[in-house]
Amino acid sequence: MTVCVNCGIELDDELKICPLCGKDPGYIGEQENITKNYPSEIIQLQRKENRRYLWELSAILAFSGIAVCTIVDLLMNKNLKWSLFSDVSISAVWIIFTLFLFVNKKPFILVGTTMLTILAALFFFDLVAAGQQWFFSVGLPLTIAAFFSISIIVILYNAAHFKGLNIIASALLILSGFCIITEMILDEWLKDAVDLRWSLISGISILPVALIFFFYHYRLKKGNRLDGFFHI
Amino acid sequence: MAITAQRFPYFSVSLRSGIFWHFLEFNDQLPRIHVEEEIPCTAFAVNRKNEPLYRVILKGKRISVEFIHILTDGAGALEYLKTLLYTYLTLSGRQISSPGEIILPESPVSEEEYEDGYNKFFQKLPPPAKLVKAWHLPYKRNSRPKLRVVHAEANASQILEISRKLKVSVTEYFVSVYFFSLQKIFASGKEKSKSEKRKVLRIEVPVNMRKIFPSRTMRNFSLFVLPEIDVRLGTYTFEEILNSVHHQLQISADVKQISRFLSSNVSSEKLLIVRLMPLIIKKMVIASVYRGLASKRWTGIVTNLGLITLPAEMKDMVDSLEIIPPPPNPNVKVNCGMVSYNDKLRICFSNITESHELERLIFKHLTDAGIHVKILNND
Repeated sequence: MTVCVNCGIELDDELKICPLCGKDPGYIGEQENITKNYPSEIIQLQRKENRRYLWELSAILAFSGIAVCTIVDLLMNKNLKWSLFSDVSISAVWIIFTLFLFVNKKPFILVGTTMLTILAALFFFDLVAAGQQWFFSVGLPLTIAAFFSISIIVILYNAAHFKGLNIIASALLILSGFCIITEMILDEWLKDAVDLRWSLISGISILPVALIFFFYHYRLKKGNRLDGFFHI
Repeated sequence: MAITAQRFPYFSVSLRSGIFWHFLEFNDQLPRIHVEEEIPCTAFAVNRKNEPLYRVILKGKRISVEFIHILTDGAGALEYLKTLLYTYLTLSGRQISSPGEIILPESPVSEEEYEDGYNKFFQKLPPPAKLVKAWHLPYKRNSRPKLRVVHAEANASQILEISRKLKVSVTEYFVSVYFFSLQKIFASGKEKSKSEKRKVLRIEVPVNMRKIFPSRTMRNFSLFVLPEIDVRLGTYTFEEILNSVHHQLQISADVKQISRFLSSNVSSEKLLIVRLMPLIIKKMVIASVYRGLASKRWTGIVTNLGLITLPAEMKDMVDSLEIIPPPPNPNVKVNCGMVSYNDKLRICFSNITESHELERLIFKHLTDAGIHVKILNND
């Protein structure tokens, strides 16, 4: 007969650890809680540490890249020229990578902050590059449209009980919508007038594919009893 | 299993979504047979078409059935399990000449077994008194795996003898021990905030409505009573708790009192505005009402399936029976289920916290009272 000396309760003889206190039932005094960490928790801890190591490594790589580009540009041109673009690109990629590492469980914060990072980089490029100003007329609306489309897909993905062809079909429809918006923005910028052509053709081509995907997906769920379905 | 499933056609359903309500649709697919895993009561994929709402689980010499509560309650699930065992044993060549009250696979299915007890016995009554929020265990919740189950066995005769001596039922005695242990944890807490002090200790004790109303339904037909101890009034001795719990349970389980709970539960679904509300909105409203109100109304749940008897020819083949209560919600944190069979009272705690102090206090109290309690190895 085994009685846990910490809890005073009898245990099955096969139990090596008391399920109530998580300690060795025969040992009195201070001791580590043996059952404190289940394997899955330990794995989670390791993942957390791995993420941290990966982030530190990425920081070293990113800042080395920035330093190398800046020094080479300074040595070759005696001034910062092309390295401005590479430095900003590397910084933006590193920020996005950091976001993916640490806020990957909050999709909307991730999408929002990634969009802001890209917009900031594009604004900087437009500011530094000589020639036509394109950020406010093309870069900003296109980026917002792209991220808006991605957000809708994320929402649909989270809301769907059955994730399958329905998500792909919805993504295709959203893509055709994005094509139309892209053509409108480009037309407005280049010709000052909207004349939809290629986006409509691509949209019409995508539509039957999406419908077929929807059909296959929801055909499997067919057979709802109508009286139950519409019962009040 | 196919033979047993045919005898219980009302369990052969899957959950479907309509525009206004979920509904159960007949589904002739047999439930899945699973190998028992470490964590019991894992979620059912109820949204998958033709997904049965119960399953049979096997491990070594142990057979378990898991039911979604919308299908039936503990009493209904137990009837199914008994028939399943009977069918299994007879198919294995065992002669069971007097099966007693077991539902035989070849017996005809009665219309009464299908009935919706809640609607049948519904009558419009004044709602029960409003309840203040209950105090909850202060322990931190586990990270994954969230659920940990403690299995224990107590001597049923000893606990029955003590209960009789105290002139209470086993449920009343055990609920009192539960309250007494909760009170110890409550009292040992650090400086409590004002809102914490306002709360009371309250336990949900499910009641088998078939014992109160004349019904033979196999569908879900259980409600609950809510005995409470108001710790704002001071600390109670065990005898005071026992006396209070005994009277509270006697009064609350009265047919008139329980009818009020039934009325308040059913009347909301009869409201036209609720019926016309699209399902998606209903789901959101019900989820928030449950999270915000219902689940905060009690500190714990103690469900007792009572004394189970099996025919003599089955008794030597069935060593023990056990009920694992459903995983508790994040507020309640610990659920308890118990069942007596073969002079053994099996007590099971489903716990999602890092602490097993409540279980320890309860088992310690029982042990100190002279009841033989043993924590079991579930492997």
